[in-house]
Amino acid sequence: MIEIKSISKTYDDQKVVDNLSLSVPRSTVFGFLGPNGAGKTTTVKIVVGINKPDSGSVSINGQSPTSPVARKEIGFMPEEPHFYDQLTGLEFIEFANKLFGDGGSPGKDLKDILGRVGIYDARNKKIRTYSKGMKQRLGFAQALVNNPKYIFLDEPLDGLDPVGRLEIKTILQNLKEEGKTIFFNSHILSDVESICDNIGIIHRGKLIYSGSISQFRNGLSLEEKFVETIKSHTR
Amino acid sequence: MNTILVIAKNTFRQTIRDKILYGIFTFGLLFIGSTVILGSLALEDNIFIIRNLGLAGIYIFSLIITIFLASSLIYSEVENRTTYILLAKPVARSSIIIGKFLGLLLAIATTTLLMTLAYIIIVVTNGGGIDYSALAAVGIQMFEMALLIAIIILFSIFTTPLGSIIYTILIVYIGHSLSFMLLYAERSGNLARSVLYSIYYLFPNLEKFNIRNLVVHNISVSSQDTLIVTIYAITYTVFLIYLAQSLFNRKDL
Repeated sequence: MIEIKSISKTYDDQKVVDNLSLSVPRSTVFGFLGPNGAGKTTTVKIVVGINKPDSGSVSINGQSPTSPVARKEIGFMPEEPHFYDQLTGLEFIEFANKLFGDGGSPGKDLKDILGRVGIYDARNKKIRTYSKGMKQRLGFAQALVNNPKYIFLDEPLDGLDPVGRLEIKTILQNLKEEGKTIFFNSHILSDVESICDNIGIIHRGKLIYSGSISQFRNGLSLEEKFVETIKSHTR
Repeated sequence: MNTILVIAKNTFRQTIRDKILYGIFTFGLLFIGSTVILGSLALEDNIFIIRNLGLAGIYIFSLIITIFLASSLIYSEVENRTTYILLAKPVARSSIIIGKFLGLLLAIATTTLLMTLAYIIIVVTNGGGIDYSALAAVGIQMFEMALLIAIIILFSIFTTPLGSIIYTILIVYIGHSLSFMLLYAERSGNLARSVLYSIYYLFPNLEKFNIRNLVVHNISVSSQDTLIVTIYAITYTVFLIYLAQSLFNRKDL
């Protein structure tokens, strides 16, 4: 279970995350939504332990995300991931795997992961030759090298064409069926609607909704209800 | 320790594939090769000219490679958000700093070694024999490069690559002028003397790593002096790396 308790974060006198609390049950897919600059990425960075909150706490399976034990169970794909351009896709994925020491995957599994995200054929090409969509897939692949129980994805469907989006959504569905807990940020609401069990909506650093999609929609489309909710909190 | 070595190996691999490195390295080899022509212009003792310019060339081109490659080392990690990928894995921030430092040092040591090899071949083919003392000069020079990498890593945590380059060049200039500064301080008034003494003790004395002049004049360096220089370099570098990782630990990414 992912447990976020009253986290706040301020940058340059601006409160980016404001007393945010939420919990994500195991083996569910959670969509974290919000307009640009709402605090989604800051929240995810705190949840995976990259940055520390000014106050509050986060626990993943009962552990702090900064602990090595928790990090071995986490997979994280940042928004618009960048890599070491001089390396090939396979070299990068091997590098990411080795960072887990003995907790990583065997070499064969790494190639399977690259195949699963659809860049196996480009594995020996330098990353600098990859398209945005291929980099997105590589970012997804590196988040899976340790077979994580908790997967955090920041805008995972950004930059992908419709075929790529469908493929990644299928992988997300499969991961969900394998019992993984998936937390992802997105502004593509149709994708959220088709994948997620629950959603959270953040606006100006505050969580304004957390719960099931059907309860939130209340007869409207997710997009209509989302826009309506954001507008009502902007006034 | 394992993650440090993994990051170091990756940094080394990434660095030795960098086109900037090849460009500067090629110029370095051309310069060292050109010492043969310059030596032939000398009225006597062409080996002295080759050794003098060859060692200077190895130093200057190693310095350029160090400054250009190290200046963007940490900055690009943060700007390109590759640190996000690393830090969401069981990797401490200090491991990134130390791993990057070791990887780059190894890459610079490799290019310096190749330039030294070219230098030795040139000296031997011009009848100078194997210049063992040059190896000592280059070895001690590597301490300076290690110290400079640590300085640049420290700068790159809070400034841009251009800022890091400018500050480092200033430190190289000051670091090689400290002996003159000390002489000047002894002749100065109280206030100027205090300022100059502060600079003298605060900045790294990079002239300690310059034994090139002694080598070309066939003056030997005592093992005691070498030991002192080694301890000085290691202490200063470790302190800078510690400072860099402390700052990096506090930095919001």
